[in-house]
Amino acid sequence: MSAGRRLALALVVLTGALALVAAISLFVGSAALAPGAVLRALAGRAGAESVESIVTLQIRLPRVAAAALAGGALAVAGVAFQGLTRNPLAEPAVLGVSSGAAFGVVVAQIFGLGLSVLEALGVASFAFAGALLAAAAVYLVAVVPGGLSIQTLLLAGVIVGIFFTSAITVLISIVDFNRLGGVVHWLLGNLAPIPAASLALFAALALLGFWLVLRHARELNLLALGEEAAVQLGVDAERLKRRIFVAAALLTGTVVAFTGPIGFVGLVVPHLLRGVLGQDNRLLVPTALVGGGIFLLAADTLARNLVSPAELSVGVITSFCGAPVFVYLLRTRYRVSL
Amino acid sequence: MRRALASVVVLVVAFAAAPAAALTVRDMMGHEVTLPAPPRRIVSLVPSVTEIVFALGAEDRLVGRTDYCEYPPAARGKPSVGGMVNPSLETLVALKPDLVIATDEGNREETFQQLARLRIPTYLVHATRLSALLDLIGRVGELTGHAAAVAPLADGLTRRVDAVRRAVAPFPRPRVLYVIWPEPLIVPGRESLLTELIDVAGGESVTGQERQAYVRFSVEAAVALAPQVIVLADHASANGGGSGAGRPEPEKWRRFTSVPAIRAGRLHSVDLSILHRYGPTVVDGLESLARLIHPEAFR
Amino acid sequence: MNALVEFASVGFTYPQPERTREGGFTLTDVSFGIADGEVFGVIGPNSAGKTTLLRLLTRVVAAERGEIRLEGRPIARLAHAELARRVAVVPQDAPRPFPFSVEQLVLMGRYPHGPGRFFESDDDRVLARAAMAATGVLELAALPLEQLSGGERQRAMLARALAQEPRLLVLDEPTSHLDLRYQAETAALIRRVNAERGMTVLLVSHDLNLAAEVCDRLLLLSRGRVARVGPPAAVLERERLEAVFGCAVSVEVNPVSGRPVVQVAWPQEVRRAGRVG
Repeated sequence: MSAGRRLALALVVLTGALALVAAISLFVGSAALAPGAVLRALAGRAGAESVESIVTLQIRLPRVAAAALAGGALAVAGVAFQGLTRNPLAEPAVLGVSSGAAFGVVVAQIFGLGLSVLEALGVASFAFAGALLAAAAVYLVAVVPGGLSIQTLLLAGVIVGIFFTSAITVLISIVDFNRLGGVVHWLLGNLAPIPAASLALFAALALLGFWLVLRHARELNLLALGEEAAVQLGVDAERLKRRIFVAAALLTGTVVAFTGPIGFVGLVVPHLLRGVLGQDNRLLVPTALVGGGIFLLAADTLARNLVSPAELSVGVITSFCGAPVFVYLLRTRYRVSL
Repeated sequence: MRRALASVVVLVVAFAAAPAAALTVRDMMGHEVTLPAPPRRIVSLVPSVTEIVFALGAEDRLVGRTDYCEYPPAARGKPSVGGMVNPSLETLVALKPDLVIATDEGNREETFQQLARLRIPTYLVHATRLSALLDLIGRVGELTGHAAAVAPLADGLTRRVDAVRRAVAPFPRPRVLYVIWPEPLIVPGRESLLTELIDVAGGESVTGQERQAYVRFSVEAAVALAPQVIVLADHASANGGGSGAGRPEPEKWRRFTSVPAIRAGRLHSVDLSILHRYGPTVVDGLESLARLIHPEAFR
Repeated sequence: MNALVEFASVGFTYPQPERTREGGFTLTDVSFGIADGEVFGVIGPNSAGKTTLLRLLTRVVAAERGEIRLEGRPIARLAHAELARRVAVVPQDAPRPFPFSVEQLVLMGRYPHGPGRFFESDDDRVLARAAMAATGVLELAALPLEQLSGGERQRAMLARALAQEPRLLVLDEPTSHLDLRYQAETAALIRRVNAERGMTVLLVSHDLNLAAEVCDRLLLLSRGRVARVGPPAAVLERERLEAVFGCAVSVEVNPVSGRPVVQVAWPQEVRRAGRVG
């Protein structure tokens, strides 16, 4: 089967799965609504002020959209970083990029920016700047003549991540003790319902980042040959690296700006997809957009309902899932030989 | 003529009745909160407010609380919406509240924004002084339609506070170090209610000059301030007695033999967790604290 | 001579920190031409500048002085993709890690002919399979490259270069890591490709005898300068080799092919160690 047809088939299957998970997510929640009530609300037949209407349309639906977007964006960022660094263990959280973005958001919050559209754009800009800063730092530390050394890259990622996390801690210690709980809670990653206008902004930024990566998916494949060989094939390697970098930082920064740092999505989802579809980024990038959405949506549904009415942070679920996968990867498929 | 007069009277009464039902109040942060009618379904996201509601006998107006609203024990009978930091919006909405009472000390800004989006009126409170506590009692009374119960409660509390003040007045005021949390060392600063309580109880909080309400302090600096009384808050009861977190560990403090409080044997670890929940029972805590600081005043 | 490639007084220096043994540090006044359809070899000691020459030709780095022309046009004026349609490089080593299959690798060689396409066309796939058949790796098409033996990997890389349909095929140390058997195979493959497709080949090697056997003409580089250009018999001349390589050698003639065979003259200690009794 040609690559194009495989991609189409995979997208059909994944989109169907996403719809299914979204439907389940809409029916399940701590407000214990009957399925009929949810359906009525979705069809617009329930009263605008009724519980099922408010819960379904103003709480659950925006949250489902946010989860799907955030998951997709993080998964695509993961694929992008992995292609760029030629290392399947690279992802925004591991590379310290999430921490950089989170730092940006904490700084923005100190300036009092919130959820309205304009303010959300401001927060997103800070997050993007933080993500770019962290990504650039990791890259500069890890690049050696001949490319990026895998060990150095992971180490650099850890170091940059620790640095920004410490910077966040410094900022927190200045912040009022009573707000501490709130900031710590945010740092675990949370999918709260976002107002429609801000959600549209979120979607626009995420899709922009996605498109930037997608149009270079073929060249990203060629990067696996090594930079010099890619140049000899006619790829403008420097420009490609820059663009993928910026795109991945944009995707990560956007997600962190709207939902806080969520880890491991960019690691687990591409890995699972590679197992089925292989290494071709042209297949991985589009399917990651949908697959990431499914993953995070499922995780968030769990997070919302496991200890109802309290809520776990979605980042907790993804870490519980992701950390074992990471360890498994390190010890089996990607064992580094000395 | 009489029929016309009757119609006028009816109209006047009708118009007078309608606006009387709606109310606009100003919360403790200065925001105006408009309610179509006096609230009958209140969700409290603040443990001290929950306590006050029960103390005023207004619990029939309360439909929801947080996991931390455990006092009085009867409060556990009300449905919980989750934590103070991460309440479940869905559960909250399902309770169909017409008013949510929250605080900027413990609840999140984002929660307020979400509630505003959902058009659920939110009343913010902020009480870090005894006077503010009395004010809060008054406001809760007004909101729940139990204003009559306010005076007895508030006056009773005020009497007890004044009694403490009078009892400790003749005595010299020792320097008091209050340890909210041992590791990292957290002490009350100027903005904290605890500092005021220590003052009323006849002591001088050594950390009372610190700007913030809750200060991360160094043990060195605390020792250098040479407190004459050290009170270690024991949070074990709040943690269900199980975990070791919040256990005061007095042995660690006994090492500092240069400190006057240690030499005089005035190191106390007590379950004063009620002091950390700023409801009416704070006064109980105040009396206990005064007894610790000035045992001679209460013989 | 119908020159496909011309180097005219080319000079280049690496900026200080990049100095490596392999790359050499200066090329000075290098001038030579490669005729269309010939197999041309570049030989010389390690730091003579062989790799630098390659990098200049493929515009990984840019010449500071002089000019390099391809089909009469300065390569500085060609876009990278245009250059890639004319010049294909088979690098010394397969990239690692490389998670793709042989077929996916060879298809990558089609990129310069359609950089705007997202997926390769049917024509691309046909050409790729033809290239794999030409180097004998067609049966291995679906296998991951990393599972192949050294010789098979080399042939897969060559297939990728052939799929590029270049005018000039450049081979960087094609036999350096290969077993004897694969060295012979590679040599044969080079000549076959040259004979069947009329493809011009530029070969960089430190194996003097391979170069002597396979190439029509040789360029001997020494310390960044051209020591000699010409047929193997003219270039591989004992005194010149000793001057360039700095050790004693002997040059004989291969009775079968008539090409020179270079032998290092082993030092005294070595000769004595071998003696019996």
